Amino acid sequence: MDKNKVKILMAKPGLEGHWRGIIAVSSAFRDAGFEVIYGGHMLPAEIAATAVQEDVDIVGLSILSSNYMRLVSETVKELKDRGRGDVMILLGGIIYKEDFPALKEMGVAEIFLPGTPLDEIVEFVRRNTSEASQKVS
Amino acid sequence: MADGQQVCSASGIPIKNIYTPEDTKDIDYDRDLGLAGQPPFTRGVYPTMYRGRLWTIRRLSGFNTPEETNKLYREEYELGQTGFSVAPDVSTVVGLDADDPWVTADIGHAGVPMSSLEDVQATFEGLPIEKVSTYMADRCGAVNTAMYFVMAEERGLDLQEIRGTTANDLLSWSVPALINQPPPQAYVRYAVDFIEWCTEHAPKWNPVSFDSYNARDCGLNAVQELGMLMATAIQYIEEEKKRGRVSLDRFVRRFSFNTGLHNDFFEEIAKLRAARRMWHRVIRERYGIEDPRCALFRVHVQSSGSTHTTQEPLNNVIRIAYQVLAGVLGGAQSIHANGYDEGVCLPTDQSMLLSIRTEQIAALETNVTNTIDPVGGSYYVESLTNQIEERAWQYVQKIEDMGGMAEAIACGWVHREYMDATIEHERRLASGDITIVGVNKFRMEKEPYEVPIFRWDPEAPDKQIERLKKFKKNRDQSRVNQALQELERVTRSGENVYPAVMEAVRAGGTLGEIAGVQHKVYGVWHHPIGV
Amino acid sequence: MAGSDEGKVTTASGVPVKDIYTPDDIKHIDYERDIGIPGKPPFTRGVYATMYRGQLWTIRRLTGFNTPEDTNRRYREEYELGQTGFSIAPDISTAVGMDADDPRVSADVGHAGVPIYSVEDMETVFNGLPIEKCSTFLADRVGGLLTPAYFLMAEKRGIPLNQVRGTTANDLCTWSSIDLFNQPPPDGFLRYAVDLIEWCTQNAPRWYPVSFNSYNPRDNGINAVQEMGMLMATVIQYVEEAKRRGRVPLDRFVRRFAFNMAMHSDFFEEIAKLRASRRLLQRIMKERYGIEDPACGQLRVHVQSSGSTHTHQEPLNNLVRIAYQVMAGVLGGAQSIHANGYDEAVCLPTDQAMLLAIRTEQIVALETNVTNTVDPLGGSYYIESLTKELEERAWDYIKKIEDQGGMAEAIKSGWIHREYKKAIIEHERKLASGEITVVGVNKFRLEKEPYEVPIFRPDPRSPDILIERVKRLREQRDDAEVARALKNLEAVVRSEENTFPAIMEAVKAHVTPGEMARIQLEVYGPWTYPIGG
Repeated sequence: MDKNKVKILMAKPGLEGHWRGIIAVSSAFRDAGFEVIYGGHMLPAEIAATAVQEDVDIVGLSILSSNYMRLVSETVKELKDRGRGDVMILLGGIIYKEDFPALKEMGVAEIFLPGTPLDEIVEFVRRNTSEASQKVS
Repeated sequence: MADGQQVCSASGIPIKNIYTPEDTKDIDYDRDLGLAGQPPFTRGVYPTMYRGRLWTIRRLSGFNTPEETNKLYREEYELGQTGFSVAPDVSTVVGLDADDPWVTADIGHAGVPMSSLEDVQATFEGLPIEKVSTYMADRCGAVNTAMYFVMAEERGLDLQEIRGTTANDLLSWSVPALINQPPPQAYVRYAVDFIEWCTEHAPKWNPVSFDSYNARDCGLNAVQELGMLMATAIQYIEEEKKRGRVSLDRFVRRFSFNTGLHNDFFEEIAKLRAARRMWHRVIRERYGIEDPRCALFRVHVQSSGSTHTTQEPLNNVIRIAYQVLAGVLGGAQSIHANGYDEGVCLPTDQSMLLSIRTEQIAALETNVTNTIDPVGGSYYVESLTNQIEERAWQYVQKIEDMGGMAEAIACGWVHREYMDATIEHERRLASGDITIVGVNKFRMEKEPYEVPIFRWDPEAPDKQIERLKKFKKNRDQSRVNQALQELERVTRSGENVYPAVMEAVRAGGTLGEIAGVQHKVYGVWHHPIGV
Repeated sequence: MAGSDEGKVTTASGVPVKDIYTPDDIKHIDYERDIGIPGKPPFTRGVYATMYRGQLWTIRRLTGFNTPEDTNRRYREEYELGQTGFSIAPDISTAVGMDADDPRVSADVGHAGVPIYSVEDMETVFNGLPIEKCSTFLADRVGGLLTPAYFLMAEKRGIPLNQVRGTTANDLCTWSSIDLFNQPPPDGFLRYAVDLIEWCTQNAPRWYPVSFNSYNPRDNGINAVQEMGMLMATVIQYVEEAKRRGRVPLDRFVRRFAFNMAMHSDFFEEIAKLRASRRLLQRIMKERYGIEDPACGQLRVHVQSSGSTHTHQEPLNNLVRIAYQVMAGVLGGAQSIHANGYDEAVCLPTDQAMLLAIRTEQIVALETNVTNTVDPLGGSYYIESLTKELEERAWDYIKKIEDQGGMAEAIKSGWIHREYKKAIIEHERKLASGEITVVGVNKFRLEKEPYEVPIFRPDPRSPDILIERVKRLREQRDDAEVARALKNLEAVVRSEENTFPAIMEAVKAHVTPGEMARIQLEVYGPWTYPIGG
């Protein structure tokens, strides 16, 4: 594996079944040259464990039901418990704007709503992972 | 809907359970339908229709002051609107200046006040009028249009190139009970003068937009609407034929039309198709005008305000969406989607945005523009088109039997039709014969939600009065007096009045002063409305 | 629009569209054979002779949220507003067949639907509602609890099962499109699905035991032709299974098939799609299976405005989109319509959004007069030509799926999911390139959202309420009875017998959805959707 590649775990915490968004974003990441691990449905603890095991730079969460506050905070906690509080967390899906501040406070780096151009999301990752891209093996 | 009872269209045409090829067997495709852009134009006035060019998104708007209206127009322009329609306020419509005590309270209500050239200039400040087309819902005599033209001259633009439309229409004028108006025959004189003048000086300007929108909103049905519309156009042509100053093909070349879009979806589509065929027949068969360009029924349509409800105003978004779609499927050249708050207040920013979005969604997301006249050939629509046309001709005949549209208005018949329609509509509403969701059916005890409200600026009158006073102080009063005297002389003669109107505007004459000459010569007419 | 550029202008599914259609474009269409009159084969113009003049479509909205109690309140409101049918959206825990206290699912309880774990929960949902006068749609999990619980509730109310009206989703096509946890593989799904149909033909003859549903697949980005193709291939899959079993005569097996389709943006294509689908189904039944009874080839279809066309930006714009999609459903002759809430892409519908959705349907039904005549667009050169073209293309697509071994096999092998993924990526490409326009999103996008709309928030207490409830349920039930029912259910599932009577028994004994699902997975093994990778 190319260690300079940005490595992203894409997951759906919770069991809600819409997958169009996460697949579209995952494909865009892959096309952009990032290394993408598609996790699908995972518990917050599973997400954190996989993030550690795969040494990812970013965890991308897709949530389309309105239980994101709980699922995100659990995921953040699980990551911190495993000493990976540094992993960048991106959140996509149906998220209420009024919850943005609380989510960012929790540690979410950015939130992408439906209709966001995929380029914009890729661009965000590129801009914010200069360290990751210089990571040495 | 219970089966067995007679089902009718909104205009009373009996509708069968199913239409089949039997119902269209008398149609000769080439004679009655043909291709778009070819006689009888049933399928569309242009050969490529929306594949060539989308309709113009145009909203009649104006409020408070010229400055605020200007701000709105700039916003609309930014949002992708491609034409402006100037709604004059009440003072402007009745032809009284802002400083006239009669109208002080009405200034800035329901439109923009335009007493002087300066007001028109302020309304269009910073907008590229050479790139857009403007509709002037002008009062009798096209005085505000003269101000628009003078503004164009001052900007160094060539009137030969300027694009837009003046209402200049007897039919829509006949509807609202306005004070301070000349009688119908005088209206026709001014209107035809203006058309004559434009054929020479502003050949890209549509000098008249025959407009049945307001008449329809009185409760008329689609057949009456078409009948009155055609009868009005015929009235104008007859007037010019009598005068013989301009050849008829030049006279009618830039006639344009404006209709309502009401609820009965397919009837409205059929109405626009029938109207195109009728207009072609008027031009070709009745007047023998061969130039096919003269036979183009180019039409601006607007969702019918009378169908919008004050109750649950967001329901109007849906009504307007359907009416806009009917306009598109009917092949309109320009569409005004009302604000959903039409029944509540003047449009807010939100409602204005939604009406533009409605048109954009119809245009860019639904693919209905992919092919011309997509409903063409439908057994139902073709049969309905035929029936509307047939019935509308009968209605035109009725008006002609009374001596034409001006006479039918002057004698009070047209207003009786309006009043009968209004009363009939109320009766049908009360009996449940027609349904308005949330009003006479599913009505809620309490309004379920609030919408933002537009508030008129109470300072608008003072601002306008102040401006007008300054304008009057700064002009050359003797030049004004002279121009107005000349206007009166010309008005009393048989000459075309419009050059004198233009001159009066250039001299600094105001709307009230110019309209004053009309009344001095023709007197004031009272609408035959009452019980 | 690209202008008058022949060949470049196409429908959303890629059918080339000409500048203008004339009688020449429909010369090859034979009125009697291809169009005919409504209520008669090939049903192009409608499944019933009088259509909306006889009876309007059913206004029906898929709803459910928080708890059975809250959902009941919403249903009562909808009923008061003039809604004429109910559709139960189960919450995530119910859809995946996991009990509220399962840690995997507890965060999802009460989200996106209503949690229903017992007959009592079902009774709460329909408390005070006259189910004998309504028809109800159950978006049940395969082999799930909703249908048996509904039937048991009816029995308790003294309503004979042969009078109960409604529909169970029970459909492989839509199931394939949603990434659901805790599912059996496609062949396991098919077995349960066909079992329910068999059982209903005998015991609940007015119930629609399946609603073949292409709504969710369509929302994955596939086009109208693919939608029709997948839908019909699923029908064929079921009929083939019934044929293989030979337990129920095919004309009885297919008699109460119902359908559910999406209403997408391309107005005329969607109308033509419904007309073509009616013809397709009739031809499948008659020509492929030799079923002569015309009642068997009627595509009775519920349609829903496509959630994927609704935007998060300027949410009120969706009112316009939904209005057009509902109108397309009406002009296409649907039997039942769900107008989405305009806030579909923002949250679960608020009261305001729900009201407007119902109002949209009422305005079309009662103000626009489009219901005055049946199939008002019939005969249109464009529509007839497009209907024909879509039908032909759908046949080709069905053939493709059959070449994969049928729908179940095509799902199992990952072929269907590759189709979805291609469609998703292609859609994104077109959006980015501007080939398709979404107003306010990739065109005329505003820097700042111009206004706010109210939002709905699920009750955060729902999981706790339901966890409590399922625990109490387990405490209060008769354990011996439960054990017996579970043992019987497992034995039946392992046999060739029809599973539904044993499922009814289990639900009666208060076996929970989680316990029933466990048996499915033990026998058939769990299945993972071939989405990643």
